[in-house]
Amino acid sequence: MSQFIQFVMTRAFLALVTLLTVSLIVFTLMELVPGTCAERYLAFKNTQGSQITIADIAAEERRLGLDRPFIERWGKWVGNVFFRGEFGDSCILRLDINQLLADKFWISLGICMAALILSYMIAVPVGIVAASSNNAVANNSLRFVSYLGLALPNFLLALIIMLFSTVFFGDSLTGLFSKEYRDAAWSWAKFGDFLSRAWLPIFILGWSATAFALQTVRALMLDEIGKLYVTAAAARGVTGSRLLWRYPARHALGPVINSLGFDLNRIFNELPIVALILTLTEAGALLFESLARSNDQQLAGAIIFLLTASIVLLNFVTDIMLALLDPRVRRGMMG
Amino acid sequence: MILRRKTISGVDQRAKEAYFTASQGELIWSRFKGNRTAMIAAYALVLLILMGLFAPFLSPYNPTIAGRDRDYENGAPQIPKFWDENGFSARPFIYATERERSIATNFRWVVKENRDERLYVRFFVRDWSYKLFHIDWDLPGRIFDIDFALIRSDLHLFGVEGGKMHLFGTDASGKDIFGRTLHAIWTSLAVGTLGVLISFVLALIIGGVAGYFGGWIDSVLQMITDAVRTVPSIPLFMALAAFMPDHWNSETRFFFISIILGVIGWPTLARRIRTHLLTERTQEYVLAAELSGASSSHIIRRHLLPSFTSYIIVDLMISFPYMVRSETALSFIGLGLKDPVNSLGALMQNVSKADVLLNYQWYFIPVIFFVALVLAFVFVGDGLRDAADPYSGTKK
Repeated sequence: MSQFIQFVMTRAFLALVTLLTVSLIVFTLMELVPGTCAERYLAFKNTQGSQITIADIAAEERRLGLDRPFIERWGKWVGNVFFRGEFGDSCILRLDINQLLADKFWISLGICMAALILSYMIAVPVGIVAASSNNAVANNSLRFVSYLGLALPNFLLALIIMLFSTVFFGDSLTGLFSKEYRDAAWSWAKFGDFLSRAWLPIFILGWSATAFALQTVRALMLDEIGKLYVTAAAARGVTGSRLLWRYPARHALGPVINSLGFDLNRIFNELPIVALILTLTEAGALLFESLARSNDQQLAGAIIFLLTASIVLLNFVTDIMLALLDPRVRRGMMG
Repeated sequence: MILRRKTISGVDQRAKEAYFTASQGELIWSRFKGNRTAMIAAYALVLLILMGLFAPFLSPYNPTIAGRDRDYENGAPQIPKFWDENGFSARPFIYATERERSIATNFRWVVKENRDERLYVRFFVRDWSYKLFHIDWDLPGRIFDIDFALIRSDLHLFGVEGGKMHLFGTDASGKDIFGRTLHAIWTSLAVGTLGVLISFVLALIIGGVAGYFGGWIDSVLQMITDAVRTVPSIPLFMALAAFMPDHWNSETRFFFISIILGVIGWPTLARRIRTHLLTERTQEYVLAAELSGASSSHIIRRHLLPSFTSYIIVDLMISFPYMVRSETALSFIGLGLKDPVNSLGALMQNVSKADVLLNYQWYFIPVIFFVALVLAFVFVGDGLRDAADPYSGTKK
């Protein structure tokens, strides 16, 4: 037991180190964006009619602490994020980022996690059956479909579905809420409305994730299914789906748990594009907005960091899960 | 099983000899040839690359604004015909079009085809002049400006007399979509190639150093690699691309995008190289080289790298579609290459308007080429991976 706690602590420490490195990368990126927060704020004031000078910019930079050295500012940012969960104020909107993001980030995460779960709910049974069947036509078409998941861009799928729904239902299915719920507080009715619209982004995000997951599951199953212990089990008279699920599937699905983090990563990749097409109002769209339109480095940095942090967290959880499920991993990790 | 049966029966001694004396490249090639899907994909890929390479020769009109067809904006594709109600013609033809705007058309320009006037397709016509195999860079800094062309010509594969023919239709400003698609294939391939090359070099250096030296250098580099791998790449691309000033010209943007793709794409390959080196460097032949006084860079270059060249090639092939896809995604959201440049992503950006979906479906034709290109790369990459794996035959 103490060994297991030690293992968890080591993993947690490693996750923390990764997060720190990631925060450094994100912070450096934010610095690369041309212009500083101070300039942006004063440029905004300028449009409101007040005269500004170079001295004003310098004063504002001092106020925001932008005249401090890079490492110090990074340390302060990281400290605020880690200990107080504060990302500071957005450069353009002049709002607390936590307030701005709160709901939107959870919605995005919810949609992406739902897409991930959906993709594995399809990929695991189909992949296992595909690996064990000898039907060449079915196998080849499955392979083709999963490659199409890579080749057919998500936005195209979104566009096609939108076109069909506009023509046949008269509703473009875009957005996340109907008009009457857009600014309402969360309630069951609002949640229901959200679900009736969120299935489309979930499906679209899940589409290519399913294709990848299928490939992984099938390849892992193929590796396991030819092994001797499966033959031995078959010789003892275990047959059919009982044989598949009790023996090779249990071994094949271990590495699958490990790849969940990377699948989430891939889904996050698609998120801004899908958000843009379906005009979703969540973190992906906000990220795009802050990067492409307003150059809001504080907000963009916060979103990228949060997305990455959820991947790191998922990786940590799957590591622990794997160790719980698979004694070999546990022993290997703890030496 | 099959192999053993052949040897026992003793037929084809020469083939057996050829098999045992074949070089690794020959073995991979012979296994690859046996994979029908991969071979079809390879032919498609070569065809697409050739189409991109000879795009100016194949496209009858200049794909930039200079070649626009003022009288045929948002025009539908024109498919050459051999016969119609007026009779048969050995030479394919299309119909002449006219534009009119009157009270009958609600004062909008409407294009009508005149079925009585035929325009005949001609081959090897002379039209706009172009350069083949040319490099014309205009980057910041004088020394990078290169203007080089191997062939200058104005010969084109086909065209029509007394008018213009648009196989894939035209876009909102009257540019020929056929020509744009062909040029876009080349641009996207070029961005992908450059991105893959850059990430390859980075991966070689970082993975090579980590794998060869091991110890704390390896731990630190692994930490960085893992961190870069965890950050979702498209948001990272977006952040880097947002850094690009608006006033940059298209060549500079092109190079910057390729560099971004390369700088972000290296971790996966670097990890594989590191793992391979970690296992290889304890082998006896490395020890022998070390004892003979070879330097580390010599050992990495001359002994370790050749031991897995084939894997690297396969990995590069597999990472290629991801590069092309990332470029497309970036251009699609408007942060990559922009409209005057013909890249597949820039072309697809036009597709996302509802107007296009309902009225001008031929804008989707470049998407088909994109899907074909990615599929071809994926199948060839997969075939190569199976062919390079010496155990792939025995597994099945």
